[in-house]
Amino acid sequence: MHRSAYTHVPFCRHRCGYCDFTLVAGRDDLAGRYLTALDQELNRVAPPTPGGRVELDTLFLGGGTPTRLDGPQLDRLFDALFRRYRLAEGAEVTVEANPSDITPDLVGRLADAGVNRVSLGVQSFDAAALTTLERDHAPTDIPRVLETVRRRIDNVSLDLIYAVPGQDLRSWEATLDAALALEPSHLSTYGLTFEKGTAFWSRRRRGELITPPEESERAMYAAAMDRPAAAGFHQYELSSHARPGRECRHNRAYWCGDDFEAFGPGAANLIDGVRRTNHRGVLGWLKRVEAGESSWVEEERLAPEDRARELVMLNLRRTEGVEREDFQQRTGFAIEGLLLGDLEEQESLGFVTRDDAGVRLTREGRFVADGVMAAFL
Amino acid sequence: MDPRFIRNFSIVAHIDHGKSTLADQLLLKTGAITEREFKEQLLDDLDVEKERGITVKARTVALRYKHTDGETYELNLIDTPGHVDFHYEVSRSLAACEGALLLVDAFQGVQAQTVANAYAAIEQDLEIIPVVNKIDLPVTRIDDVLEEVETVLGLDPYGAVRVSAKKGLNIEDCLAAIVERIPAPQGAPDAPLRALVFDSKYDSYKGVFTYVRLKEGTVKKGDTIRFMRGGSDHDVIEIGQFAPLRKECKSLGPGQVGYILTGIKELDQVTIGDTVTHAGRPAAEALPGYQKPKQMVFCGMYPIDGRDFEKLRDEMQKLALNDSSFSYAPETSDALGFGFRCGFLGMLHMEIVQQRLESEQDVDLIQTAPNVTYEIEERSGDVYKIDNPQDVPDAGVIEEFREPIARVNFILSKDHIGPIMQLCADRRGEYKNTEYLGPDRAQLTYELPLAEIVYDMYDKLKSVTSGYGTMDYEVIGFKAADLVKMDIMVKGERVDALATIVHKSNADNRGRQLCKRLKKEISKHQFEIPIQAAIGGRIIARETISAFRKNVTAKCYGGDISRKRKLLQKQKEGKKRMRSFGSVEIPQKAFLSVLSTDED
Ligand SMILES: Nc1nc2c(ncn2[C@@H]2O[C@H](COP(=O)(O)OP(=O)(O)OP(=O)(O)O)[C@@H](O)[C@H]2O)c(=O)[nH]1
Ligand code: SF4
Ligand SMILES: [Mg+2]
Repeated sequence: MHRSAYTHVPFCRHRCGYCDFTLVAGRDDLAGRYLTALDQELNRVAPPTPGGRVELDTLFLGGGTPTRLDGPQLDRLFDALFRRYRLAEGAEVTVEANPSDITPDLVGRLADAGVNRVSLGVQSFDAAALTTLERDHAPTDIPRVLETVRRRIDNVSLDLIYAVPGQDLRSWEATLDAALALEPSHLSTYGLTFEKGTAFWSRRRRGELITPPEESERAMYAAAMDRPAAAGFHQYELSSHARPGRECRHNRAYWCGDDFEAFGPGAANLIDGVRRTNHRGVLGWLKRVEAGESSWVEEERLAPEDRARELVMLNLRRTEGVEREDFQQRTGFAIEGLLLGDLEEQESLGFVTRDDAGVRLTREGRFVADGVMAAFL
Repeated sequence: MDPRFIRNFSIVAHIDHGKSTLADQLLLKTGAITEREFKEQLLDDLDVEKERGITVKARTVALRYKHTDGETYELNLIDTPGHVDFHYEVSRSLAACEGALLLVDAFQGVQAQTVANAYAAIEQDLEIIPVVNKIDLPVTRIDDVLEEVETVLGLDPYGAVRVSAKKGLNIEDCLAAIVERIPAPQGAPDAPLRALVFDSKYDSYKGVFTYVRLKEGTVKKGDTIRFMRGGSDHDVIEIGQFAPLRKECKSLGPGQVGYILTGIKELDQVTIGDTVTHAGRPAAEALPGYQKPKQMVFCGMYPIDGRDFEKLRDEMQKLALNDSSFSYAPETSDALGFGFRCGFLGMLHMEIVQQRLESEQDVDLIQTAPNVTYEIEERSGDVYKIDNPQDVPDAGVIEEFREPIARVNFILSKDHIGPIMQLCADRRGEYKNTEYLGPDRAQLTYELPLAEIVYDMYDKLKSVTSGYGTMDYEVIGFKAADLVKMDIMVKGERVDALATIVHKSNADNRGRQLCKRLKKEISKHQFEIPIQAAIGGRIIARETISAFRKNVTAKCYGGDISRKRKLLQKQKEGKKRMRSFGSVEIPQKAFLSVLSTDED
């Protein structure tokens, strides 16, 4: 039985140039239909006992921008969720929030509904970078926003993006320092990627956006690891840093290979080794659910070995890497039996280390993690 | 059929002067095809031919033509390719004929292959009918062209026929000239059978089609025939002609052209140039046959998937049956495994064989850079030829390293003589002669190392002369030169398939270029890859492909997992058209980059 659930809230004020998530911009009018459809999709969660509810350790509302919904709409959303789910003792409930949406009223409503973790889309403390990223807040808003959130919810994570066109290492270090100075409980540091179909993709092709050179990106990634560490953070995943005990339990479930449910357009779940993905268009998803059809459009049942290899890819993101016993238990494969030659090769290149506990990326391996993971797939 | 009413002729010309288009018209005017069946360059039926708009293989068609004298004639037409690489097809076709239509473009006039093909026809003592084609063009130089025909080729311009193959103008004149001027074939119908095998083709249902031109005797269905050189006997299960579709007939007599089907499935039993006779009443002597074509360039062809080796062998055998100028022999490479050393008449021929193997036969290939044949004389006095740079012995044992030399004729306008002379000088050419074809055009003759012309001279010529210059070449012998083998090391390991033979004076330059090219073609890896060019043990050039310094995608949450996995898997699969050496993936393109002489 899954103990984690994700809900995708696909509304934004504006689609940022780099974003390829499933969402609609400027279509808040669809929120009502969305909430009705979501309620219907949630019907597939069969409770363990009639009238009972499924117990969750983690619940995550992501987007899009969940805080795009207004107060009553948020209430409806939580109501729909908690008619099927109840929270276990000490459960983690996260909501992604856009800084400019934060108001005392909103925070109060979230906290009252049981939200105990907020992930703020701060992205940068460099005004120029924020403009490039097409975000609607200013760096100077953030201290006040944080204070508002903390009045009710103390577990706050900040999302930061580096390697923004025009940004240099200095600017990124300044962003990291500004973020750390606000003493959040968690930081997520993302290198900007250019996805096919986004405005950034074509602007880069036209030469309007120029990505920083590889060496500079490398230095930024190094800073993203070193600065938080110096401030007492623990890097528990390639781009995640937490104060002790503040790791995001929901995301960890993904990287550990745990089952999870997922709702809303574009969301993908993993139940008993089968991954099913919802229709990726907001309207497509709506229509399917409204017509009483399944919202799933893809089903992936990997062969045991492929599943094991995929788990290697996920586990390696974690600082503890692939843990021998856990891996064998989950997949039925001994890690060395599956990957010995490749492991030795990556080890000789200095990208992984092995010991009794398992296999981990080295610091050098983190810089080139994609290549290392590809070698194991 | 009485040989008096048979005419056998080839259509020859410089590339694109309209041979296939004229063949269309001859088919149409004699009723071999109807207006409705008509399509342009109907005889060019290979995919590569349609795609490139050129003829690659000679094609034979039997036409029935009712002449003004009231008699019906059988005209056996052979449409030939014009590109220099396929000159061998032309000579072979001419050997089956008594005459030739020599087409000359009414604007372009006599070009390099016009000269080469006219001489080939003259050598075989054929009746040549000059045909000025494309008279419909808005700008023509018909009088100049006729003068060139006279002065350059020594042919009588007064008998020239003027046509437009495209518009179908004066095709009747052409047909009349064929009947009236080309001699009828000789040969007694009751003599012992002698038929020249000039082509063959494999058909998976019917077996091997043997294409023959009868010199003497008669062949019928049910006869038992013998291949005189091959030595095997077979029963004839079908005979016929192409008109242009396959059409069965009762018998073939002297002078006729057609096919014989015996149900042979073994590809090695039919050889082009062999003579077919009757098993019961064999001819005393085989026909002269053909000179084996000389392959000009060689390259390695390896299946990308090593398991396809046997399949590739079968496919090469089938292709060789239909293209006797292509040769192949098994070879192995440390780098590429089991494959074949293949010989070709030129670069276009090489490209076409590769394309036919890949598209018609569905095998993915890795191809190494082509090279010419070299001759080595060792200190011990041993002399031998090599067609693979890997076979160059230690420099210490070589007495003389010789390369093939070609005589090259360029035909171009006077303004372009200077730049071409410069190009030839850069490529170690030796000037021979200039001959003026008229007030503005000249034929320039050089002797150049074959290796300096065969890969890209044609392209260079086209760019220097804005497309107007043409060239033709012929290998005349071997000559000693200061040649060395250049090895390429990738990450410290010699990649045998990247070795080349270069002239010493140019070695450093080529080494640098090649390392730069390879740096461009080989993508970044998880580690640094040094690329070195070396002669003997001496490194002459070096480049380094740096390792990935940062290659990590930050996000990977629930919805991204399978996408991410697929993306990484795809990156892995992108390497399909590559071979790995040690741990370095080298793409197909890199092997050919050895060829490039561009500066960048
Ligand atoms: N204007 C004009 N164009 C012609 C005439 N005959 C042929 N062409 C054009 O010339 C081009 C070449 O014609 P082909 O018949 O393919 O020439 P080819 O000599 O068979 O060429 P290869 O077989 O490749 O040597 C085509 O674009 C024809 O349409 C003609 O009488 N007048
Ligand atoms: S706010 Fe976030 S989810 Fe919305 S468009 Fe911008 S980046 Fe995408
Ligand atoms: Mg043609």
